[in-house]
Amino acid sequence: MMMSFTPAPSNTVTAEGAQQTAHIDAHLVNNFMDAVVNVLGTMSGTQVALKELLPALDYKPQGDVSSIIGISGEHGEGMVALAFYEPLAKKLVSRLLGLQAEELSQEDLMDGIGELVNMVSGKAKTGLSEASGMLYRLSLPSIIKGADHQIAGRPKNCPFMCMVFEAEGETFTLQVSFRQF
Amino acid sequence: MKVLIVDDSAVMRKVIIRELLKCGVETADITEAVDGLDGLDAANKADYDLILMDWNMPGMLGIDVVIKLRESGMKTPIMMVTTEGEKTNVVKAVQAGANNYLVKPFTPEDFATKIAQMAVHN
Repeated sequence: MMMSFTPAPSNTVTAEGAQQTAHIDAHLVNNFMDAVVNVLGTMSGTQVALKELLPALDYKPQGDVSSIIGISGEHGEGMVALAFYEPLAKKLVSRLLGLQAEELSQEDLMDGIGELVNMVSGKAKTGLSEASGMLYRLSLPSIIKGADHQIAGRPKNCPFMCMVFEAEGETFTLQVSFRQF
Repeated sequence: MKVLIVDDSAVMRKVIIRELLKCGVETADITEAVDGLDGLDAANKADYDLILMDWNMPGMLGIDVVIKLRESGMKTPIMMVTTEGEKTNVVKAVQAGANNYLVKPFTPEDFATKIAQMAVHN
């Protein structure tokens, strides 16, 4: 399924109720959106659709488990976080392994969502690199579990875009904080 | 065909093992290494017909393992199985001595095609 995000003419979106303005880079959004749809479709046979795009000005967890990865290069840096509620995370990772959700170990669940953010970020990074001619590197993924968890250390002065996706009647979020220099 | 899988993700190793079994590889002929250094050690301890190598791993990157193995004179075919899809990285891997390249995510058909190519290589 091909989806595409078209930016407002000013290429700027203002978060409702926010005092600041967050810029949304359509190329960045489309790369990550395509990566999510492709990775989950290819590896776990799951149809995914973008439900909402929010210019989040700070990280707001929307799930009880997040997998996070850093992106860095000579001309850009950032981080990517995939956040799920555990039942959906279990469905996706168990499909990746060809198991029933109840057969999935907690260890494989954590490792599996780390591999999902790795594949999504790797695919998006390839698109960004090939369009700009700049190479980026990925860190190893980290997993954070628990309600209302907080993530510190994202790049300063860098807007956080939040993409809300729907799969299996449930939602999950991909949050990207990335700036080029 | 004796295969060494070098990948720090246990889930990805399980996915690769499932696909190898579909390709007719016997369970007893599959060895797992959990990171680059473990992979280097395993590759030096036994003979394999094929090494499947991730790129981003703790300890030692897969590309550096490939360089070390080729510097030591090892001729075993190596296929990168990685999220690093940039053409620059594919070229870098081939120059280091990798024989084939599979980008994650991959379909079962993609995987089977690449394994068939490597079987011919053997």
